[in-house]
Amino acid sequence: MIFDLIVIGGGPAGYIGAERAGQAGFNTLLIEKNSLGGVCLNEGCIPSKTLLNSAKIFDYARYGEKYGVTAQKVELDHNAVIKRKNKVVKVLVSGIRAQLKRSNVNVVEGYARIDGKSSDGYIVMVNDETYTAKRLLIATGSAPVIPSIPGVTEGLEAGYVLTNREILDISEIPRSLVVVGGGIIGLEMASYFNSAGSKVTIIEMLDHIAGNTDRDISNILLKNYQKKGVEFRLNSKVVEIKNGAVVYESAGKLEEIEADKVLMSIGRRPVVQNIGLENIGVEVENGAIKTDERGKTNVPEVYAAGDVNGKSMLAHTAYREAEVCVNNMLGRRDIMRYNAVPSVIYTNPEVACVGETEETAREKGIDFEVVKLPMRYSGRYVAENEGGDGICKLLINKKYRNLIGVHMIGNYSSEIIYGACIMIETEMRIRDIKELVFPHPTVSEIIREGIFQYKDLL
Amino acid sequence: MAVPVIMPKQGQTVESCVITKWHKNKGDTVKIGDILFSYETDKAAFDEEAKAEGILLEVYYDVGDDVPVLSTVCIIGQEGEDISDIVSQVEEEPETGIQDVTANKIEKMEMTQETDTVKAASPVRSDEIKISPRARNLADKAGVDYRFAIPTGPQGRIIERDIRLLMDTGPVVTPSAKAEYQKLDNRETALGTGIGGRITTSDVEDMSSPGMRSEPVEQDIQAEFMETDYEEIKLSNIRKVIAQTMQESLANSAQLTIHTSLDATEILEFRRKIKEQGAHLGLENITITDIILYAVSRTLLNHKALNAHILDDSMLLFNHVHLGVAVDTERGLMVPTIYSADTKSLSEISREAKELIEACRKGSINPDYLKGGTFTVTNLGTLGVESFTPILNPPQTGILGVNTIVQRVRQIDGQLTAYPAMGLSLTFDHRAVDGAPAARFLQELKTSLENFSIFLSK
Repeated sequence: MIFDLIVIGGGPAGYIGAERAGQAGFNTLLIEKNSLGGVCLNEGCIPSKTLLNSAKIFDYARYGEKYGVTAQKVELDHNAVIKRKNKVVKVLVSGIRAQLKRSNVNVVEGYARIDGKSSDGYIVMVNDETYTAKRLLIATGSAPVIPSIPGVTEGLEAGYVLTNREILDISEIPRSLVVVGGGIIGLEMASYFNSAGSKVTIIEMLDHIAGNTDRDISNILLKNYQKKGVEFRLNSKVVEIKNGAVVYESAGKLEEIEADKVLMSIGRRPVVQNIGLENIGVEVENGAIKTDERGKTNVPEVYAAGDVNGKSMLAHTAYREAEVCVNNMLGRRDIMRYNAVPSVIYTNPEVACVGETEETAREKGIDFEVVKLPMRYSGRYVAENEGGDGICKLLINKKYRNLIGVHMIGNYSSEIIYGACIMIETEMRIRDIKELVFPHPTVSEIIREGIFQYKDLL
Repeated sequence: MAVPVIMPKQGQTVESCVITKWHKNKGDTVKIGDILFSYETDKAAFDEEAKAEGILLEVYYDVGDDVPVLSTVCIIGQEGEDISDIVSQVEEEPETGIQDVTANKIEKMEMTQETDTVKAASPVRSDEIKISPRARNLADKAGVDYRFAIPTGPQGRIIERDIRLLMDTGPVVTPSAKAEYQKLDNRETALGTGIGGRITTSDVEDMSSPGMRSEPVEQDIQAEFMETDYEEIKLSNIRKVIAQTMQESLANSAQLTIHTSLDATEILEFRRKIKEQGAHLGLENITITDIILYAVSRTLLNHKALNAHILDDSMLLFNHVHLGVAVDTERGLMVPTIYSADTKSLSEISREAKELIEACRKGSINPDYLKGGTFTVTNLGTLGVESFTPILNPPQTGILGVNTIVQRVRQIDGQLTAYPAMGLSLTFDHRAVDGAPAARFLQELKTSLENFSIFLSK
């Protein structure tokens, strides 16, 4: 049998792509080597959120006195947390399996390797079986970058160096945890283990945390975590990992800190090796599959979506990229836009951003203005965040008088940001946004407050 | 008694005019004969004089506004006068003819729906569009370009439902991009890159600077360029129309130019004679150009493929010659038409050409005269040009360039003699006419001009 489409990888890009193709009537095969849902569902977005939610409840209970609530003998049962996480993951994985079935997608478990091309289409080998399809969607995702620092390999084998996968399953809270890399994954895990009782230190090579996040916001986040007891070593480079300690270099000096466990979270790289890309000549650039705005690779009818294209490495980007690919397979015109892709850090407080930062806007030569205001302009925020120091920052393009960036730190940001995505994606002008009605009292009103702070001449 | 000043109707087909300058401001004292404002169609410019005395009480449009003809532009009255009656009349702008739509026309709309993508490729020029105010408002609000609407209202008028259909099929412009988009002349029909195919600010920037997307210019070259002294001038409406027409002509036809020269002895002699002796008949002002216009008008009907309009899959061969005459004016090239030139005498052609040229230069030409040509004559010979390649005025299939007269030498009976030679350059559309038939027209024209007195007595 010749499939219309073979999808390699069952993560967010893969399963959404397969579902959409199946729903459109494509005879679709999905191949997953591990577990449906990919990193996101099994060892990323979802499990980390269950952990962070437990930590948040724990913190509310412990620090409720400023809201007039005190509780005794509050404990975080890490094993129960992990157990619940596993249950959540299981429910969602079976949900995906059911959804794929409803969409008439065939699922094969095994390691897929592209073997070549015949007159019938592309040949993919799985478990010594051959499958052929007219089209391919490569959605092999990404893997953690493992640096060649002395001690890392040994540590991974011995179990005291962890990646995002292993750390979600450790049975005990480590006494001390060193997080190498202060990006989203590192910060989220630091957040949980700090609440759970570990002594957490984050070592970051740059002079700031949270990657490309707005600098004011990453500074506020840093201060919040310092207050909670997390230590930061910025401008520092790990040079060796020992059993029980991490050696790093800071300002030319070598320092050593104690570490029961070490989390390597310095970044992720696309999975492009050992999947047979070379057998059909798929172009790889800077370690990622090169795709155009339609998700097409250089090989006809071969598409790639998700982390493997190295563009955004976020699950929600992967969803949309996969849909763009399938739409183009179906002959519907669709292109991927990245200008309104939100990014969220589920720390406590949450961080959410979309659109241009001041840095990127400046690089692009955009004439813009910044409106920055404390979250305390929102009544709901004041009511619920005693001593909260969140901010919301709006970037406004002065030429078109539209919103081009929104950056916020404060709880509920993650749920609010999509509204800003719509405003940016549809290029609403300030005067258009002024006509919107926001629900009161919500933290989302901060956007409305910010918009009216801007002195729009029109 | 306050009086409204309305936008005059300049010609039968002009639907709206653009205000280019206000000479009086709201509140100014106005005397009869004062110039209130200047305005232009896409072909000619005019001044509106005050016909009443008083104060300019109300102004409804700004510079740059496209004002429908017969709309109230401003109100002149006495200080403190109650003008609420007039104001309310102005606000109740007439909305004609949505009611009397027959079932037949609805059927027609449904038919055209299928072809709308094809139609969308050819926007109608805004000065030719009939649109109800309600439809125009809706188009404005929804960000659709109403020039792409397929009118289903009475007399080809665009009504609300046409805009509703267009909102579905596009092009739709985002709110932020709208203002800049409306300034564009060459609005591309390609779908936008925004959500749902909307045209975004970056699309507009790409449209307004084609080719600017390429790699950045090297730093030092740019610096040098920045220092260059220049003056930036806004293109006038007329300039924009010329630019668009010329570019479309070159882009959409298969035009080429062939050159010949003729012995001008006889026409020069003829012209000398009428100049000397034709005064009492009123013929003394007949020029060489007039003589050529006359000869062309009589020769063309033997070569109907050159007295034609070429459309996508058909040609219109005209039974009369409506001769366009290219006129150099301060504002730019204008081409008034001598209708049915083939039925007019040399002296009639001469007189009419002079009147039209004069009106063009003054800017008082009735726009109805600036269309409908079936062939064009353009003379750069008066400026010493010996040969050139005129550009077709689409959808015409031919344009004749008249060159200067130079002394040439030829051999007759072994003797070298000089004679005045005049060059003719014929551009024709190879889609409509092949080279040989075009050359035959030129040959016949040459013979006619070389034997003009015989030709005249035919």
